[in-house]
Amino acid sequence: MDSLIAKADAIRPLNKKRKTSHPPSKGSSSKGKGTSSNSDYTLNAVVSRTSIPKSLQDSRPIPEDGSSYKHIANKKLRTQLNRQAAQGARAKALLEDAEMLLMDEAGGLEVEGEMDRTWRVGQSEIVQSAGQEAAKGRREYKLDGGPYRSRYTRNGRHLAIAGRNGHVSTFDWQTGTIHAELQLQETCRDITFLQDHSFFAVAQKKYVFIYDRDGVEVHCLKAHIEPTRLEFLPYHWLLASVGNPGYLKYQDTSTGQLLVEHRTKMGACTTMTQNLHNAVIHLGHQNGCVTLWTPNLPHPAVQLLAHVGPVVSVAVDPSQGGRYMATAGRDGTVKVWDCRNWKGAVRDWTVRGGGDPEVEWSARGYLAVASSGTVNVYNPPSIHTPFHVRSPPPLYMTHPIPHRPLTSVRFAPFQDILTVGHSAGLSSVLVPGSGEPNFDSREADPFENKKARSEREVKALLDKIQPDLITLDPEMVGNLAPVSKLTTEMTTADGKPKTDIPYARLPRIDRLRVSGKLDEAEDDAAGEEGEDEESKKRSKEEREKRKMRGKGKSMKRYLRKQRKNVIDPAAIAIRAKLEKQKEEKKRAAAAAAGESGEKKKPSALDRFKRSK
Amino acid sequence: MRPGDPTPTSRNLNPLMHPFARARERTRALNAVKMERMFAKPFVDSLEGHIDAVEVLCRRPGSLTGVASGSWDGGIILHNLATRKPIAKIPQAHKGKASGLCFSPDGQRLLSCGVDRNVKLWAVGDDNLNTEVPLNVFPGKAAFNSIDHHRTDPLFATASNTVQIWDETKSAAISNLTFPTSTETITSVRFNMSESSVLASIGSDRTFTLYDIRTGKAERRVVMQMQSNALSWSPTFPTTMLLASEDHNLYTFDIRHLDAPTQIYKAHVAAVMSCDWSPTGLEFVSGGWDRTVRIWQEGKGRAPEVYHTKRMQRVSSTVFTGDARFVLSGSDDGNVRIWKAKASDKLGVVTARERAAIEYREKLKERWRIDQEVDRVARTRHLPKSVHQTNKLKNTMLEARRVKEERRRKHTRAGESKPKAERKKLVIAEQV
Repeated sequence: MDSLIAKADAIRPLNKKRKTSHPPSKGSSSKGKGTSSNSDYTLNAVVSRTSIPKSLQDSRPIPEDGSSYKHIANKKLRTQLNRQAAQGARAKALLEDAEMLLMDEAGGLEVEGEMDRTWRVGQSEIVQSAGQEAAKGRREYKLDGGPYRSRYTRNGRHLAIAGRNGHVSTFDWQTGTIHAELQLQETCRDITFLQDHSFFAVAQKKYVFIYDRDGVEVHCLKAHIEPTRLEFLPYHWLLASVGNPGYLKYQDTSTGQLLVEHRTKMGACTTMTQNLHNAVIHLGHQNGCVTLWTPNLPHPAVQLLAHVGPVVSVAVDPSQGGRYMATAGRDGTVKVWDCRNWKGAVRDWTVRGGGDPEVEWSARGYLAVASSGTVNVYNPPSIHTPFHVRSPPPLYMTHPIPHRPLTSVRFAPFQDILTVGHSAGLSSVLVPGSGEPNFDSREADPFENKKARSEREVKALLDKIQPDLITLDPEMVGNLAPVSKLTTEMTTADGKPKTDIPYARLPRIDRLRVSGKLDEAEDDAAGEEGEDEESKKRSKEEREKRKMRGKGKSMKRYLRKQRKNVIDPAAIAIRAKLEKQKEEKKRAAAAAAGESGEKKKPSALDRFKRSK
Repeated sequence: MRPGDPTPTSRNLNPLMHPFARARERTRALNAVKMERMFAKPFVDSLEGHIDAVEVLCRRPGSLTGVASGSWDGGIILHNLATRKPIAKIPQAHKGKASGLCFSPDGQRLLSCGVDRNVKLWAVGDDNLNTEVPLNVFPGKAAFNSIDHHRTDPLFATASNTVQIWDETKSAAISNLTFPTSTETITSVRFNMSESSVLASIGSDRTFTLYDIRTGKAERRVVMQMQSNALSWSPTFPTTMLLASEDHNLYTFDIRHLDAPTQIYKAHVAAVMSCDWSPTGLEFVSGGWDRTVRIWQEGKGRAPEVYHTKRMQRVSSTVFTGDARFVLSGSDDGNVRIWKAKASDKLGVVTARERAAIEYREKLKERWRIDQEVDRVARTRHLPKSVHQTNKLKNTMLEARRVKEERRRKHTRAGESKPKAERKKLVIAEQV
């Protein structure tokens, strides 16, 4: 028994070194004993056998990020938190390293002379100097059937186009393979791909229709009446539509359920876009308002008067995490807004020629504005830096298109291509530097095969985010909840720090307070016993009379009776303190009034002052 | 690229390329816990053969499949877990209950004791058991309650009204161990696995006692509030022992500090009848009078994994298998049940990709335990109605007791009666 205890106290990690024939010197052994006398040997007995080999351990020092958990008393928790922080910091450092491994770099236009301008470079010049593959992006699709709208898949490989008069087609624009070609013989107002090129939705004259890759009609969504614009939220599997009746409708495409419909109360709506980073839908209205919608709120999360006339186009910048929004109005102005601070536009300017300007941001933050026969492209930093807020930012590139009107502007993901839809078909132009050069094959892979596509679909369905998690701040998930006002933290009368007492152990008065049943007004009134007690009593009675109206009268009376004789020392102390503060405040106010009264000159407006 | 090559991938870790990363990870974590609950099918099989309630289970050293069970009718069965068939049956090994079983360290001999005051030694082959005649019979003076073999020497200890040490080659006990003032019935006795001459026993007078067979004396005795029903030494921490108590709790003690348990394990709603450590020493299993088997993490005193079936009655014996993957329980309905130690474990071959996915899911679960919904799914267990109701009743009673205590304290002079930590309440006296 004692030997067990003695041994338990003496067990230490086995020496890693191989045993030598000669015994170690006495000095070294005693030294070893001295150094590790404080730790528990039994607990550490297996450490040397179970720890990761030195060669595999991360030898780099933990980056300093200032998070220390010294204040936490619980040792286990502290260790865990420290380890987590170290892991996080290391991951961050590794992330910085990973940027070096990116294969491709973004291109761009550069000029030689100081007086030269990039916008003077025309498409023919760009095509000549671009590589053979990249030059293939410059195309003209000559089609009749009205102004066209277009949409790329998320991997930028496939293009869907819809002409106003009912010509709908989806194809792989790189290989030129046509998946579906339909003549719908009725008005088509918008088109969008669903999760990938295997399904697409068309906003037709009366309803929204969903077709599969081969152009077979698979669904008719009769709930979406006279739709004008469609958006698909890929991570939530929601198809949003807005139409002439002015309803914003969300349809869950994985379950088929019509999730929610919001009445915008602003009439027909022809402008919609989504913020890729928080899945909020931006709508532009006829009265000049831009509204931001989530499925969870029956009213807009943000409402903004952006233009004097109707809003004709809205776009959100994906390169800055959805921070900037561009709007265009029928009055010919383009405005750039900061989505974190809605106080006025960051920049606004008027486009030449009027018409309905169309705006679109590229993945790297290039802004394309198409209006009245030209497409102008602006490059990022100058768009947001308000050097002169009323003037257009310096032009990056421009391209004239003779076929008015220009109805849709789309950047191709992972390509330096801008596709403009117009009355004679579509034109793709090269905008060097606009596309993200490095794709992530776990998110969207332009080169994926059939198997990878189906695998991705299954994975995406499993990772589908519930629609009630859509908020303006996407980082809300996994953060701490805001502190509830109904805390069980007790304020102690004698100046001790606040401690969190479990609900069950609170005194009754505090339980009532925490559960929101305490009649605070009456409590305060009970404490104040001043000069005109009579009037107060009467008023209190009146108050009570007013209060007693309604249901549960006897219950309330009973509860009040129950509370009557409770003397809570903490409450009394607080009341006294409040009284004191009030008194002091009054005195201070009186002193201030007295001083200022002496200095202030009588004014003509004094007679309008409220007499006390 | 040749056919069969993995498709080339490219990564871009820019967070803007991965919108909703956190929300998606949470969804994945939620799916992971839901999947864990969905695949939680812990029951593997039940081994039949006993006519009466199973009293004792014992695993065979050096073997993953050999387990012996003894029952109230005096029968002993040697099971093969892999084939789930009995290797050998001894229908009438003892008259009355077979109360204790243990193997010799080499696994070649089986010792059994019964209330018929006999200890019997049986020869066990690799896949057979000589059922005809025991190798040896050791007659005693009182009914035996428990038996345990020495780790290395041919010695064994039995528990009756005293603790007796026997030599396998001698027909009478070689020594009697008893605490000087003790008048108890010893219910269980266990050798320490590391310091093999140290012995612990629990008795019906609410004590547990530590002996050393070299000195032949009882060294320490601890009197507790309630009687213990089973004890087990930790296989990895030699000074740690586990007690299954009548007061519905389990306690781990560090025998260097016997004044208080190191941890209280609370979840059973009736007396805990048996306990056994996993060979890894990281978890242990307990079976209770409340008809449930629970699997605990060492050092985590609440929310254990809980197993139950409609047909399982009072669990009187539980044991971990040698590979720590399975748990056996013997209950009053006469069956020995095999359970998985981790309810959602996959039996059979796990590929490397599957293993990676499982590990990723584990990490997700651990990371998102702070999320309310994830935690709720991970925590929730279905309990039989009787257990649930008993639990509610128990909570009410404990709450009432606490309130009463608090009120009493409130109305005594300040500082007169201080609240006592739950851990300090357990031990009444420590005797040397």
